[in-house]
Amino acid sequence: MGAKILIVDDLSFMRMIQKEILSQRGYVVVGEASNGLEAVEKYRSLRPDLVLLDITMPQMNGLEAMRKIFSIDPQARVIMCSALGQQNLIVEAIRAGVKDFIVKPFKPERMLSAIEKALK
Amino acid sequence: MAVAGMDEEKLRSAFLEEAEDLYGKLGESLLSLEQNGGGRELLNETFRLIHSLKSESALMGFAKLSELAHAMEDVFGLARDGRVPLDRQVMDIMFAGADLIGEMMGAVSRGESDEGVRTEEVVRRLARVPQQGAPEGAPGGSPERVPVRESPQTPADGGLPVLDEFEKRQLEEALDRGEGLYRLAIRVDEGEPMKFPRVFLVFNALEEEANVVKAVPPMDGEPLEDALYGETVLYLTTGGSEAAVTQAACVDQVTVLSIERLDYRAVLEGPPARGGGPDAALAGAPGEAGAGAQPSAEGQQKRAGAEKTSIRVDTRKLDDLWRLIAELVTRKSRVARLSEKMTRGGDVHEASEELAETFDALDKIAGGMQQTMVDTRMIPIAIIFSKFPRLVRDLSRKLGKSIELSIRGEETEIDRGIVEALSDPLTHIIRNSIDHGIESPEERLRRGKPARGRVSIEARQQGGNIVIEIADDGRGIDVARIREKAVAEGIEGAAAMGDAALLELVFRPGFSTREVVTDLSGRGVGMDVVATRVRGELKGDVVLATENGRGTRVTLLLPLTLTIINALLVRGDSQLCAIPLTDVDSTVKVLNTEIRADDGREAWVYRNEEIPLHRLGALFGRGRRRAEEHFAVILRHGDRKGCLIVDELIEEQEIVIKPVDDLLNHRRLFSGVSLLEDGRLVFILDASFIRREDF
Repeated sequence: MGAKILIVDDLSFMRMIQKEILSQRGYVVVGEASNGLEAVEKYRSLRPDLVLLDITMPQMNGLEAMRKIFSIDPQARVIMCSALGQQNLIVEAIRAGVKDFIVKPFKPERMLSAIEKALK
Repeated sequence: MAVAGMDEEKLRSAFLEEAEDLYGKLGESLLSLEQNGGGRELLNETFRLIHSLKSESALMGFAKLSELAHAMEDVFGLARDGRVPLDRQVMDIMFAGADLIGEMMGAVSRGESDEGVRTEEVVRRLARVPQQGAPEGAPGGSPERVPVRESPQTPADGGLPVLDEFEKRQLEEALDRGEGLYRLAIRVDEGEPMKFPRVFLVFNALEEEANVVKAVPPMDGEPLEDALYGETVLYLTTGGSEAAVTQAACVDQVTVLSIERLDYRAVLEGPPARGGGPDAALAGAPGEAGAGAQPSAEGQQKRAGAEKTSIRVDTRKLDDLWRLIAELVTRKSRVARLSEKMTRGGDVHEASEELAETFDALDKIAGGMQQTMVDTRMIPIAIIFSKFPRLVRDLSRKLGKSIELSIRGEETEIDRGIVEALSDPLTHIIRNSIDHGIESPEERLRRGKPARGRVSIEARQQGGNIVIEIADDGRGIDVARIREKAVAEGIEGAAAMGDAALLELVFRPGFSTREVVTDLSGRGVGMDVVATRVRGELKGDVVLATENGRGTRVTLLLPLTLTIINALLVRGDSQLCAIPLTDVDSTVKVLNTEIRADDGREAWVYRNEEIPLHRLGALFGRGRRRAEEHFAVILRHGDRKGCLIVDELIEEQEIVIKPVDDLLNHRRLFSGVSLLEDGRLVFILDASFIRREDF
């Protein structure tokens, strides 16, 4: 069975696209969350192998969610999804220990290769 | 160019953007150093600024620019360590150096090289500063120390790094621990839109295996322009193997170009030194320091005309835009689905409801995008104001006046498009204040004023306008003298003019010749140019207020943005006209019985207020409509009101301003035209006409 992935993004169409790409490659999307709070919740209950985490979200943003997830599981594999221009946030996330980041709008191959490397 | 495989133009503009920022801050630091003395923090900051300027220009291969910056850095380094005092003489050299840096950047932005600027003199004087600070008797016959200059560094050429003291100490410690020293060159894929964070991933991953001593471009502090990190060189020490380092650097989208082991000794001794040239050793007499050092704001001004093609945008604004675009994509696909559904013969009623809903959403998105783009155009007025402390310093020194400048509201945002057009008039007004307004210290004391004059600049947003006020406590304008002059020049009605109308004459081209101006207690040189610029190009207004002997205040009113405005559409006769909402006070109904006619001029009398009345139809040169009551718009411009009778109030709309042809605008009634969605042309009324004598 493919690795279990949690998708976090406030835009449903973005989640839809990501899910589509991941399923085609044989990954299992175990859950989706549309904000940081939900993401932390779902991480706790689903224990995915990897989280695709959007930075800009209502309620709790990606960075905060990332910190909460690391406090639950320091070994968590997190890939940040960011918009262009969020350089400082990305650097902050790397300092905190995320495995990689992808910049929207991204190509499917780019997302998949990041995930592949991060899961190694 | 220095960095291989990179678009030269792009690199140049990236460099300029960064360097101009540094240069601006350097100017500010120098001023506060001079005013407040060298606090440790301020000195460090200045040192850091000049250091960054040096490194960046070296990276770009601008040898002269980096040489000068290095010479200045040396002196700041000594000052920081308390080895030379930052006295007036040294500061003068620093200011002269800063001016030259400005000139060289100007040359670079024009696509020229930095080599045309004569920096030798200042570099030589900088090199002599250490001797000046040394204990007496020490220098004299001792040979001149020629500072060692860095050669331009490039990541691609495999040259040795230039290390500072801290980095050297790190190397020495690593050598003691028996670690190896490596130079690792990496490349980030061209397609990666955020290169710095990607290099940072490598940097972060390496930290587990090694100690990164230095990175080119630098990884500590604020990152440089992102594109510069396309190729990055890391100098690191490690107890592990080369393979382990390469493994750690194996990050997605990153290629290891090369890894090579370096010799500690070669790196610690630094790259081959390049002398300052034979003439650097042949120093002139120490007494000449003041001669070529006359600091001026000219260097800054020379640069001001430089073309700027790239802009800096707050990343949050881009984020907003991104989110909106994402929304747009979602809605677009929904429309596509709907249209497919309808062609397949789905329920039209249901679909049309959904369509209406989608349209609403699209409307909101479009509105949001428009607003965000407008926001993107806004930048703090500090970009103009920041050069004024220097201007005031230079002018007051030159004229032997003592002036305290206060600036407020620097954070007020203005449209990018008006920065350039606004800068000159403001500079001019301030110049006038200092040159002609503020009296000499002696004269001030004689008049019972403090010896030190005050000039204040303030910006604020007020409704849809930006208000900029420049005030001084100088001698003011003698309105009676303007009247004399106006009568003498045969200006009609001058004898009966009120103060405001007389002051308005100052803005009239040709009214004030230079000698008259000094006569008029020094105002008006080029004020006609200021008025033309502000009222014409900037679609704003300028108002003078003065109190003889007490001071002058110039107020500029500027529209918030030049491109999109909210306007009230009205009709006068058959012609449509748009009135910017910023100029609309209210809309009212006016009864014939409330209109008073007097000497061909009409006014609306309402609640003891008498407002001059204009008829839109008549403004367009058409006949008057007969009616018992009329719709009217109360216009407001600055402190004036006007009542404009219209035939119909249509609606409020957002319109895009386009320039209006002079032929159509011979009475200068309009600030522009706009095309409505249905293709109709509307004139945008310039409400400032209510201030004019000819209406």
